[in-house]
Amino acid sequence: MATKFVGKRVQRNEDPRLLTGQALFVDDVDLAGMLHVAFLRSDYAHARLKSIDISAAQKRPGVVAVYTAEIMGDDCQPGPPLVSPPPTAKNVLFNSRRQVPLVIDKVRHAGETIAAVVAESRYIAEDAVEDIIVDLEPLAAVSDLEKALSPTSARVHEDLDSNLAAHMVQEKGDYASARANADVVIKRRITIDRGAAAAMENRGIVADWDAKNHHLTVWDTTQAPIPIRNGLASRLGLSEHQVRVIAPFLGGGFGPKMMMFYPEEMLIPWISMKLAKPIKWIEDRRENFYATTQERVQIHDVEMALTRDGRILGISDNFLHDTGAFDPYGLTIPLNTQSHAMGAYDVPNFHSELKVVFTNKVISTPIRGAGRPQGIYVVERMLDIAAKELGLDPVEIRKRNFIPPDKFPYEQEIIDQAFSQLIFDSGNYLPVMEKAAKLIGYDQFVREEQPRLRAEGRHAGIGVVSFVETTGVGPYEGARITVQANGKIGVATGVGTQGQGHYTSFAQVVADQLGVDVRDVQLVSGDTAEFHWGTGTFASRGAVVAGNAIHESAKAVRAKILKLASETLGAPEEELELEDGQVRVADIPHQSISLGELASLANPLRGAVEPGSEPGLEATAYFGPKYGATAFGVHAMILEVDVETMMVNIKKYVVVEDCGTILNPMILEGQIHGGVAMGIGNAFYEKLVYDDNAQLLNASLADYLIPSATEVPRIVVGHEETPSPLNSLGTKGAGEAGTIPVPALFAQALENALPEYKLEIVETPLSPNRVFELIQKKEKT
Amino acid sequence: MKIDGEYLFKGPREEVWEIIRDPEVLATALPGTKSLDKVGENEYRGDMNVKVGPVGGLFSGHLLVSNEVPPESLTLTVDGRGSPGFINGSGNVVLTDTGEGTTLMKYDGEVQIGGKLASVGQRLLDTASKSTIRQALDALDMALQARVAAKAEGKAVEYTPPSETQFAAAVAKDMAGQALSSRTLWIIIAIIVIIAVIAAIWISRTHGG
Repeated sequence: MATKFVGKRVQRNEDPRLLTGQALFVDDVDLAGMLHVAFLRSDYAHARLKSIDISAAQKRPGVVAVYTAEIMGDDCQPGPPLVSPPPTAKNVLFNSRRQVPLVIDKVRHAGETIAAVVAESRYIAEDAVEDIIVDLEPLAAVSDLEKALSPTSARVHEDLDSNLAAHMVQEKGDYASARANADVVIKRRITIDRGAAAAMENRGIVADWDAKNHHLTVWDTTQAPIPIRNGLASRLGLSEHQVRVIAPFLGGGFGPKMMMFYPEEMLIPWISMKLAKPIKWIEDRRENFYATTQERVQIHDVEMALTRDGRILGISDNFLHDTGAFDPYGLTIPLNTQSHAMGAYDVPNFHSELKVVFTNKVISTPIRGAGRPQGIYVVERMLDIAAKELGLDPVEIRKRNFIPPDKFPYEQEIIDQAFSQLIFDSGNYLPVMEKAAKLIGYDQFVREEQPRLRAEGRHAGIGVVSFVETTGVGPYEGARITVQANGKIGVATGVGTQGQGHYTSFAQVVADQLGVDVRDVQLVSGDTAEFHWGTGTFASRGAVVAGNAIHESAKAVRAKILKLASETLGAPEEELELEDGQVRVADIPHQSISLGELASLANPLRGAVEPGSEPGLEATAYFGPKYGATAFGVHAMILEVDVETMMVNIKKYVVVEDCGTILNPMILEGQIHGGVAMGIGNAFYEKLVYDDNAQLLNASLADYLIPSATEVPRIVVGHEETPSPLNSLGTKGAGEAGTIPVPALFAQALENALPEYKLEIVETPLSPNRVFELIQKKEKT
Repeated sequence: MKIDGEYLFKGPREEVWEIIRDPEVLATALPGTKSLDKVGENEYRGDMNVKVGPVGGLFSGHLLVSNEVPPESLTLTVDGRGSPGFINGSGNVVLTDTGEGTTLMKYDGEVQIGGKLASVGQRLLDTASKSTIRQALDALDMALQARVAAKAEGKAVEYTPPSETQFAAAVAKDMAGQALSSRTLWIIIAIIVIIAVIAAIWISRTHGG
């Protein structure tokens, strides 16, 4: 079928609302009689709760209620696990520990919620928090990942023998013999530090218990409204139909807003039911640093075994992963790391042992990339080091190792984050690399530009790295599409939207199927009252899983339209065409009926709907992929370093991406731009600094630097399309593609820009200061 | 955070020892101090009110003096907490008679700082702590000299402690010397937080039993 909208740069349907302030965000919800909550949070990272005195807070005028774990009683239960536990196998250990809404006996990270104050205003609530007297007995804090595993370390969970949260080994082939037969074996320790998602909009929840209707409505900044509804119903003793969760427009999700059952997410609805009042809590920026999940800390001990001509024979990667105080997200992040530690390369032998470690830090859950940037950093850095050792060009060593196109579907022989076999469905990597090298002007830069700049005493460097991104995982999503009497098309789906352009890209898929204008497709997403089957927006799965569910649903509605129109117009279905909101008999344009009229005919006021048929032009369909679709891409960059300050200036940035069928190149490029901006932060600005006592030292945007417009260059985006064979649209995800390889790219380009220092960068994030320190260290040795 | 340094008092060691053991004098050297009470043989409590912007509240310090060797040295252990955060730590103070009528104080210790104090004030902590300690020691030295002079002349002690504003201004001046951008409001807020931190640390160091 020819497409009128799919693949085109269609302007976004949602932008007029967003740009004129007409879009609803959680903090816009303002209900009559609404009360406000502030939390008492622990300053200590690890402490025993001895006593708590709330009497002064309760007496403060304007305070309605104060809650502690003791007052909550049996309702103060740990949240549900957010992913299925790993399969019980002899080489898998997993200790599940989840957070309680309010601290019962022990604080396990600074920022944990100890008490909730409900008051007439947030001001009063905040003041009353200071009236609470809490006696916390400080305990030795577990901060360092390696020390955490020593037998003498304090334990985050005292019922466990150690701070080991999980342990798992994955093997492919026989690494030991690959190593024995290798010409070169490179061995390094690579460290990756913590960062925040730092969404522009912090979290927020408004809950409204309607005591007369026994119905709870919750507005939540969640990426996964349906799991939150299901979880709330179960935890509050309600039926699912008694709970409606609405995720309106979100100012960024990036992972931490994903079905993470936060203490506040349980408490605000619970309080609303206790008091039969609407209750609101909006997270402030400091809370965001202490209460919203973080990611990325890992320590890798890596080996790469190669032949003299740069062919990878095997990789061994043993690593520690910091899960923080709890592990509600299971093994998702470290398994993603393992799944990406072989990168886009044909690696015959692989050995990887992961250890997940509890520390007294904020919980670690997926942030855009979700373990993938770590895996890609490891494999790309090792390849760069190998290339130097073997005297090979970094682009060339990558080309020699790419999985060739005839090897797809490529079985990695390890399991992925969903505990299924990791298979790369499709790909054609070489043309992407060649396009990127061409767009950045690789040969010309290396041959002419760089020598010229060096002669002028300037420090310009180039980097080229590749990455894979496993995307579009199950279980499933669904959509219901309805042709309305006004001729417009209603689409309801369970996934929420955080800026991805769903209102447009999904509308394009529907508009092509039903022959309507893309502006006449009205999407409702993230409201469980509209659609209540599905999981959510994460793991770069919206366009793949929800996109294909919408595609299937639109095809079913198209069939219904054609059937009814055929009867009405007295013409065979194959002679009908859908265009401009009309069904026309081909070649006889005046013999037509509008979709609105057809919709009315399908929903008669008199007469009966015949047995076996349904009223309306409506269909619901679901899509669940067999396994995830794997996207591929190359990032390339030219940067210049000011050796006085070690500040970098990005001269040129290129991304070439193959995420299968492109629904809307403009939206895709927007995703990539945003992702690269986040990646630049990850690579060179953003680092959460914790001290030895697990105290966060830079909990403000004055000290935790996120890139602004001046740090983000113009980005040239090129596309290749290798459609995924796993779904009818051929789509693969792209939500995380911009972010994943940037730290690896920075490291390569910086080394290339500063050849006289012979830097070898095996850590991320960097900063001007850190590059300076690395050079000082190098000069001393 | 490690803190160490030294200070030369213009007075004999016995007088310095006396002054650092006198809660009333100490309280005047540290603006914002509400109270300093002896609660045991070698135990004190000090309360300090800090109320600026997002970091307001009462800060309470519990101090323990040990290893006391008058007039030479002592060890102080502090546990301070309040809505701005907490401080735990211990440090040693050693007084050496220089033989020229002056006394050299050496101090070193390690403190753990948490909460808003650590997370919001971190970037200025080092500079501000040094400055604040110096300002407070200057104030003490002035008190010391007033006391020495009064003793010599047999008169009553004449000494006006610096006001809270003067104290803050002196620290701000030191901070400005560090060329710390133009975010004046932020710096002022942070400085006052830091004063609270350091004051508590300092109380713990010097206000022994």
